[in-house]
Formats: sequence, C-alpha cells, structure tokens
Amino acid sequence: MGRNCVKLFRRSLWVFHVNSGGCNGCDIELLNVFAPYQDTERFGVKLVGSPRHADAIALTGPITREALPRVVRAFQAVPDPKVVIAIGSCACGGGIWYDSHAVVGGVGKFYELLRERYGVEPPLTVYVPGCPPKPEAIIHGICVLRGVVKQKQVASYYTEEKAPEIPKELLGVPSFEVRRVRGV
Amino acid sequence: MGVVTERYPYEPVEVPEGFRGKPVIDPERCVGCGACANACPPNALTVEDDLEAGVRRVKLFLGRCIFCGRCQDVCPVEAVKLTKEFELSAMSAEDLYQVVELRLAKCLVCGRAFTTVRLALETARRLPEDQRRLALICPECRERMSSHLISYARW
Repeated sequence: MGRNCVKLFRRSLWVFHVNSGGCNGCDIELLNVFAPYQDTERFGVKLVGSPRHADAIALTGPITREALPRVVRAFQAVPDPKVVIAIGSCACGGGIWYDSHAVVGGVGKFYELLRERYGVEPPLTVYVPGCPPKPEAIIHGICVLRGVVKQKQVASYYTEEKAPEIPKELLGVPSFEVRRVRGV
Repeated sequence: MGVVTERYPYEPVEVPEGFRGKPVIDPERCVGCGACANACPPNALTVEDDLEAGVRRVKLFLGRCIFCGRCQDVCPVEAVKLTKEFELSAMSAEDLYQVVELRLAKCLVCGRAFTTVRLALETARRLPEDQRRLALICPECRERMSSHLISYARW
C-alpha cells in the first residue's frame, strides 16, 4: 500500500503489451483502454511497438512454457526502471491454469523463476484481477500505479475468537458404544 | 459532435445489471463447509485445516478468481456473494487475499477434528430431530457404530 511509480516516472508511461499465451480476452479489453472511449492517453499512457521504447509491460496470459523465453526477452529489453501491469486472472495468479504443467502460472511464479535463473529482482507490479477485467478496472490499475487514485482493495482476515456453544443434547455418546467403536 | 471519452476515474461508472464483480465471504455467515472450494474452477477458494491451531481457514485469492459465480450458487448459507465491485487493483499480491478462520470441532468418539463448530450446528439444524445427535460424530466413527444407533440415534 502506498507504493506507486510516481517517483520512477514523473511523466508519460509508455506501455509495451506482452501476451504470454492468454485467450485474448484481456488483450481486447486492453485495446479498448487505448481507444477513444476510455482513452488512457489522457494520463500519458501510450502503447508502443518496441519494448526498448517502453517504461511498462502490460502482461496478459498465464505465461506458457512456449512463451516463457519471449517474455524473458521482453523483460530484458525493457530498460530499467520498469513497471509491470499484470492484467487478468491468468497474469495475476495463473488463473484457471495455475497448476497446469504447460504454464509457469502468473507473475508470482515468473518472478521466482527470474530470481533463480537470472538473479533479477522483480519490478514494481500492479495486479489487475478480472476475467477479463473491465477497461475501467485496467484504468483503475494504471491510476493506482500513477498515484491518481488510492488503492481500494485490501486484504481482510477474520478469526472466529470463540466458537459458538454446542447445545447439550448434541453431546454425549453412550460409553459402551465409544468403547466398541474404538475397539478397546 | 461532443465528447465521447469517459471521465473515469474522476467520475464513477455504472456497471450493467447482473455484473459479476468481487466475491466477498460474509465471515459471520460462513460455516466452513468447503462447498465453494469444491465448486471453484481455478481453486481461488481453498479450504485447509490447521490442526495445531484448531482452525479451518477458508482462503479466497482474488488474483486467481475468474468471477464465474459458482461459489455464490453452491453456498448453502448464502455467505459468498458476488458484489458489483470491480476496482480490485493492488500493488501487492497479499492485498488480494480474504481469509476466514473458523474453530474446528472434535468427534465425540475418536477425538479427531473433522468439522467446524458452526458446520456441526448447521448440520444438526438441518437433520431430522431424532438424528441430530449424530452431527458431532465423524463419518468414520458413524460407520462403525451399530446399525441400531445410526438408524434411531437413541441412547
């Protein structure tokens, strides 16, 4: 919480779009984001054709094994400092294929892999869950990253302090039966 | 021609009727039966028992959720509900978790923790009156009980 990329990029954020084997749902929503109706160029966010021009990577898809070398190359091509916008359930946590042998399974596992194989620390990442996320949800993600709006989603943890009392009529089994079942 | 561009995020947007947004577990209602975890296609909802702490944890990881709404359909106590919330962006994956921790109940015969207290009470509430006493006995022990006791639950 409270982290964003304001300090990293004070001006426009240029985005390179990487589809790492997704179903194209998120990609279509992402294209909407750059179209006139939602128009993120209001915030200086622009889609660029080469990773070498980009500041951010918009990652969609669960990173299939086939796509992994390409995604790594795209990551290496984007100059540091960079940020990652993980769009959709697949990119955030692997989605419906999270335990498949054919995918790496989202940016979490991908970052572990980067750290192990290349010794690269994971860049700043904004997670945009959704299957696919609404274009507005992607805009919200970008705005959280840019510090325009505050993050809404927070983790919640509920603990049942004291279990409800069990009424007496539910307790008590005849002792001969307990002995018989336990085999004593 | 006017302006077509939305003012979002400076103005809120309306979501359509029947939009499936962020699923939320109502911790006061949840009994920890695990029906949602069973139905969840991407296993965004998981249920695990922590025997040492004596609790059952129902975990929801939004980062994997595909917003299909099956958890809402199968929940027997209507604890899981899909809201219209879609602004779920987070700067860390930890922010995407919701955890509900419920106390485990032990089998009266063998002492194994096999259900939550809430689930046992809910089961007892739904059972016919003469079989309620079986709610706190685990299935394995119930199997081994004499047929007379299982059928009539009289002791």
